[in-house]
Amino acid sequence: MKASHIIGKAFLALMAFIVLFPIFWTALNAFKVNADILVTTPKFVFEPTFDNIAYVLSRNSVMAALTNSLVISLTSVVIGIALGLPAAYAVARYPNRWTEEIQFFVLSLRFLPPVAVAIPLMVIWLNLGLYDSWTAMIATYSLLTISITIWLAVPAFQQVPKAIEEAARVDGYGAYAVFLKIALPVAMKTLIGAIAFSFVLIWNEFLIALMLTTGKAKTLPIVASEMSQVGMDVPWGILNAAVILLSIPPLLLLGLLSGFMNSMFSNKSR
Amino acid sequence: MNSRQTLPYTFLVPTILVLMVLAFVPLGYAINISFQDRTLISPNSSYIGFENYIDLFSDRRFKNALWVSFKWEIITVTSTMIAAVGLGVLMFETLKPRTRNLMCLVFLIPVLLPRVSAAFVWSFAFHPLYGIVTYPYRAITGKPLDLLTNPDTALFAVAFVDLWQWGFFFAVIVLKLLESLPPQPLEAARLDYAKTWQIHAFITWPMLKAPLVSLALVKAIESLRSFDLVYIMTRGGPGITTETLDMYAFSQGFIEAGKISYASSMAVIMMVLTVVIFTFIWKRVRT
Repeated sequence: MKASHIIGKAFLALMAFIVLFPIFWTALNAFKVNADILVTTPKFVFEPTFDNIAYVLSRNSVMAALTNSLVISLTSVVIGIALGLPAAYAVARYPNRWTEEIQFFVLSLRFLPPVAVAIPLMVIWLNLGLYDSWTAMIATYSLLTISITIWLAVPAFQQVPKAIEEAARVDGYGAYAVFLKIALPVAMKTLIGAIAFSFVLIWNEFLIALMLTTGKAKTLPIVASEMSQVGMDVPWGILNAAVILLSIPPLLLLGLLSGFMNSMFSNKSR
Repeated sequence: MNSRQTLPYTFLVPTILVLMVLAFVPLGYAINISFQDRTLISPNSSYIGFENYIDLFSDRRFKNALWVSFKWEIITVTSTMIAAVGLGVLMFETLKPRTRNLMCLVFLIPVLLPRVSAAFVWSFAFHPLYGIVTYPYRAITGKPLDLLTNPDTALFAVAFVDLWQWGFFFAVIVLKLLESLPPQPLEAARLDYAKTWQIHAFITWPMLKAPLVSLALVKAIESLRSFDLVYIMTRGGPGITTETLDMYAFSQGFIEAGKISYASSMAVIMMVLTVVIFTFIWKRVRT
């Protein structure tokens, strides 16, 4: 093996360390009392405590936020699927000038600064009496989930071999049956990855939630960020526990999303 | 009409209508509010024409925010692309497929973390007295190292977290792009004793230039979402040195003054700038 290869590998190992260590450290701090965290020389050996995690999990605000986050994320993802997948299929299978424009319109929604959407929406939801509600959050997030679902599902549908759809049509399937019974199941593996992406995007969203919720509809990122303001001192142990809790759902989807990236790129060359 | 003719309409029309309502109603509203003098405190408001926009032009904090956002875009996009290409090529050249897959899994972690989590993880790591990153500096010099409250380093410290989230993610994409290239030209070049840098400069770069440019553009769009990191790590400080446009709009509209209309006019300018610039670049790059 060449020396340059060894250096290269060592460098990559260092990079993996830079990725993992801060997260590992945060997880470790979640089990420390504040006195073990606030030391000038970092402590690796300490008496673990479950108080931080117990505190976070016992808070009503955290449980409410967890419920809010789950309901809001999942509902808007489902709306994204229901409206996004058929649209993506139409764009993928009926390419013409119009669908091209539609695809660009969907992409350009991502150009919009979230502030520009959140400020007027705050006023709109206030006027409608829906401010700080599930309905308002789900409607707002649906804009994101529908567009991201379309954007990621178009290539997934394009990868479905046309021959299969033709064969089904010869067998007497109508266009809708081809979509439901052929294209959807064949593309499903990739589509699940796309759906997981839209879930992570919504689960992690902060700015819009910060502007559109103040109480009962607060999502988990907002409540976690407020943990830094409990009392006078920053309760780092509790904050770290909250950060870990918030990060678990996206990380659970890691395998799924990695598989999604593989299928998005590997098929390009075929 | 048979089902093949109706399908595009039934599948597209409802979705596009919903998207248009969800996008254009707020945008129209934002433009409408920006011509008023609406605040969070008083329910009454009246139209004041272009006054908010005129005020913006003499607002030094707004100009500062424009400049900070511009710097933020340049720093995050270039650093992410350099890291992504460097690490992607390095993985492609030195790792076997199995280790590559493991590495990809590791490198995907930062981007999946909520921005809020990443911001907290690193703001504690950067803590001047107790942080793990600043520990070596403290141990050697005996002095605290304050990256986030030093005006010279704060923006870079926040941008580093953005790089940490996106650089590794894009490295995985670059690796996948390299893997998707036809292997024959690379093998032929290797048989001719081409050096590694020559292979990448003369064979892979020309083939990957277009996707890499698109990737940089995607990063530029995503970099507009700097708010979460800035809000958690510095709140725009020290002073206004890390105050990006969305941070400033937020603090005008919510934290300090509650000047919803003024914040709206800023949001409208941001929107026009980004939509015009990115539409122009995107259409040019894609054709």
